[in-house]
Amino acid sequence: MPAEPLQTFLVERLPELWLRTGEHLMLTGVSSATAMLIGIPVGILLFRRPWLRKAAMGAIGIIQTIPSLAMLAFLLALLHRIGALPAIIALTLYALLPIVRNTITGLEGVSPQIMEAAKGIGMTKGQRLRMVRMPLAAPVVVAGIRTAAVLGVGIATLSAFIGAGGLGQFINRGLALSNTRLILLGAIPAALLALLIDFTIGAFEWGLAPERRRAKKGSLLRMLRSASQVMPFLLILAIIAVWVSGAGIRNRESLPGVCGGTVVVGAKNFTEQLILGELMAQVIENRTQLKVERRFNLGGTMICHTALLNGEIDLYAEYTGTGLNAILEEPVISDPETALRYVRRVYHERFGIGWLNPFGFNNTYAITVRQDQAREHGWHKISDLKEDENDLRAGFTAEFSERTDGYPGLSRAYGLRFMEVNDLEPSMMYKAMANGEVDVICAFATDGRIEAYQLKPLQDDREFFPPYYAAPVIREKCLEKNVDLEKALLSLGGLLDDEAMQRLNFQVDGKGLSAAKAVNAFLKSKEFI
Amino acid sequence: MIRLEKVSKSFDGGRSYAVMELSLRVNTGETLVLLGSSGCGKTTTLKMINRLIEPTEGRIELGGENIMKLDPVKLRRRIGYVFQGIGLFPHMTVEENVGLVPRLSGESVRDGKANAQELLEMVGLTAKTFADRFPEELSGGQQQRVGVARALADNPEYLLMDEPFGALDAVNRESLQQELLSLKRKLKKTIVFVTHDIFEALLLGDRIAILHEGRLEQIGPKREILTAPATPFVKNLISKPARQLADIQGMF
Repeated sequence: MPAEPLQTFLVERLPELWLRTGEHLMLTGVSSATAMLIGIPVGILLFRRPWLRKAAMGAIGIIQTIPSLAMLAFLLALLHRIGALPAIIALTLYALLPIVRNTITGLEGVSPQIMEAAKGIGMTKGQRLRMVRMPLAAPVVVAGIRTAAVLGVGIATLSAFIGAGGLGQFINRGLALSNTRLILLGAIPAALLALLIDFTIGAFEWGLAPERRRAKKGSLLRMLRSASQVMPFLLILAIIAVWVSGAGIRNRESLPGVCGGTVVVGAKNFTEQLILGELMAQVIENRTQLKVERRFNLGGTMICHTALLNGEIDLYAEYTGTGLNAILEEPVISDPETALRYVRRVYHERFGIGWLNPFGFNNTYAITVRQDQAREHGWHKISDLKEDENDLRAGFTAEFSERTDGYPGLSRAYGLRFMEVNDLEPSMMYKAMANGEVDVICAFATDGRIEAYQLKPLQDDREFFPPYYAAPVIREKCLEKNVDLEKALLSLGGLLDDEAMQRLNFQVDGKGLSAAKAVNAFLKSKEFI
Repeated sequence: MIRLEKVSKSFDGGRSYAVMELSLRVNTGETLVLLGSSGCGKTTTLKMINRLIEPTEGRIELGGENIMKLDPVKLRRRIGYVFQGIGLFPHMTVEENVGLVPRLSGESVRDGKANAQELLEMVGLTAKTFADRFPEELSGGQQQRVGVARALADNPEYLLMDEPFGALDAVNRESLQQELLSLKRKLKKTIVFVTHDIFEALLLGDRIAILHEGRLEQIGPKREILTAPATPFVKNLISKPARQLADIQGMF
C-alpha cells in the first residue's frame, strides 16, 4: 500500500480536494435548483390536472429506474459532449421524481375544509394556491427537495466518469489504481456533504412547521428558528464560494484557450492510461512552452474519442486494435504495421486526428504461464501448450472466455482445448495463478503483475491476437499550431517496450506510487528531463 | 335583502334533490334561521347564496342582483361566512387570519392590523393576548370567536353562519350565542343562520324557516311558528322539546 505518510498524502491533495468538492457541490446544487424550478410547477400542474398525473408520474418514475451510468452514457451519446452539462441534466432528471411527487402529495394533503374556507371568504384561485395551499404543503415539498439533494450528492460521484469532475474523480482513480486512500478521499467527503445537506435542509424543514413560529421573541427556540430559515441561503453562498475558489485553483494551473497556451491531455480510467497520460503531459510540460491540463479517468474509449472529436481534450493514448475494432468497427488486422497505417489514414480522413508513433509496447492479450513451469516443460510459444493441453487448467476473465478474439478463437486457431476453463475476476485470476490453482491465464501483455508474480507470456506464434500498440492520438489542429508539440511527442516513439511498460504498471499497481511520480522517475532515468 | 326563487339543487343529475323549489326572502337587517335536521338541505342552501355550490335551477338575488351574473370572488367578499368546522388557516396567526379578507381586497397591512385588533375585542378576545397566537393554540370557543371576527372583518352587509356553535360545549355555546345577539343589535347585518337546534333558532332568529328533505315546511316569525305550525312535521318538531321535558319529569 501507499508508501507516503497519511499527512503528506492529505496535504498534497488538499487543493484538489477543495476543487473537487466545489465541483461536486456545484453539480448537486445546480441540478437540485433546476429540478426545483421545473418540479414544483410540474407538481402543481399535475395536481390541477389529475388525468395527466398517472402518465406523467409513470414517465418520471421510469427515468428514476434507469441506472445512473446508463443514463450518463445515454446523455453523452445524445449531447455529443462530456463534462458538466450531461451530468447536470442526468442529476436533474433524477431529482425530479421526489420533488414532483412530494409537491403533489403536499398539495393533496391540505384539508378540503380549509380550502373551502379559503374559497368561501373570497380568495381567487391563485390566492388560494399561493396563500393557503402552497404554504400548508411547503413542509412536504421541502422534504422532497431534501431527498432529491441528498440523492444527488451520491449520484454526482458518478459524474467523474464523463469528465464532470467532482469527488467521484478520487473514487474512480482510487478504483483504477486499487488505492483505498484515494477511494476514501472521495467517498468520505461525499458522505459528509450528503450529511451536511441533509442537516441544512432538515433544519429548514424543522423551522417551517407552524408551531415553531409561536416561539416567544428572544427565546432560544425563536433564535434557532430564525437560524434554521437562513441556513439554506448560507449553504448556497458556501457552494458558490467553494466552487469559485476551487475553479481559481484550476485556472491557476492552466490558462484558457485549448491548443493555444494550453493542451488538454485525456486518459481512460485504468492504470496504464494514467501512466501514458502523465508521460505525455510531463514531456509536453518539459519540452514545450505549453501548459497542460489533465483530464484523466474518463470512463472508457467512446468517452475519450467523443471528447477528442469535440475538442474537449486535445490528445490521449489509444491502442491500434481498439481504434480499429471499437471506433472504426473494422475487422482485425493482424499485422501491426498494416493496422497502424490503416487507422492513421482513416482517422486523418474521417476525424482530422493524427496517430503519432507508437510508444513501443503491445498491450494485447497474452497467454501466460508460470516461469518455473515454462522452464520445466520448455514452453516458449502458445503452440507449445498443445502437447500438455489435457493436463492444463485455465483461468480466464469472463470477457476473454466469451469474446471471439478470446478463448473461442484461440481454441480454433491453435486447436487447443484445455482440461478445464474457469471464469475468474482479473485480480483473482493472478492470485489463483500464484497459488498454483490454475496453470494458464489470459493476461494483458503489459500488466505489472506479470513481473510481480514471476509469470511468462508466451509468444503468439500464429499471430492470433490483434495488435494493441498504444500511440498518442491528437487533434491535427493542435499539431499545426505547435511544432514543438509534435516534436516532443514523437520523441516518445518506441520508448517503452513491453517490459518497461510492465515495470511502470507494477510501480503504480503493486507499489502504490502515484502515476506522476513513477513517470517522473522513469523520464529522469532515460535522461528526458 | 336576499331572495331565493324556486331554487333547486341536485348533485346526481336530477335523480334526487338536496334542495327542491325553495323560495324565501331574507329582509335587510333581519336574522333568518334555517332550521332542520341533518340532510335537510340547509347547508346546501346557505352555500348556494355565496356560490360555493351553484343551484341547478332557480334564481338567487342579493340586493336585487342575480348572483349568477356577479363575479363569484367579489360576491363572496361582500358576504361574511362562518364555517361549521371553523376553517381558520393553521399557518396564520389569529391577527393574520382576521386581517386576511381586507388584505385580499387591497387594504394595507397596517390598517388590517388595527382593524383586526378592534374586531378581536368586539368578539370578546383580548387582542394583546391572542393576536400573535396560532389557531391550534386556542380552545374551540376561542377559535369560533376568531371565525366570527374574520367573517366581520371586511364589514360585509351579509353574514352567513353554518352551525357555527354546533361543536361547542353548552357553556361556551351559550356565551357565544349571547355575544352574537349583542353583535347583531349593534351591527344590524342581514344574517342567515343554519342550525339543527330549535332553542338556538328561537333565541337568535327573527324569523325561522323550517326545512325537511329539501323542501320548505314553513317560514315565519318565531311566534307564528310556535302558535300556528303549518304542517304535521313542524308541529312535531316544536312539540318535541316539551315532550322530552315531560318524559324526563316522568322518570322521577
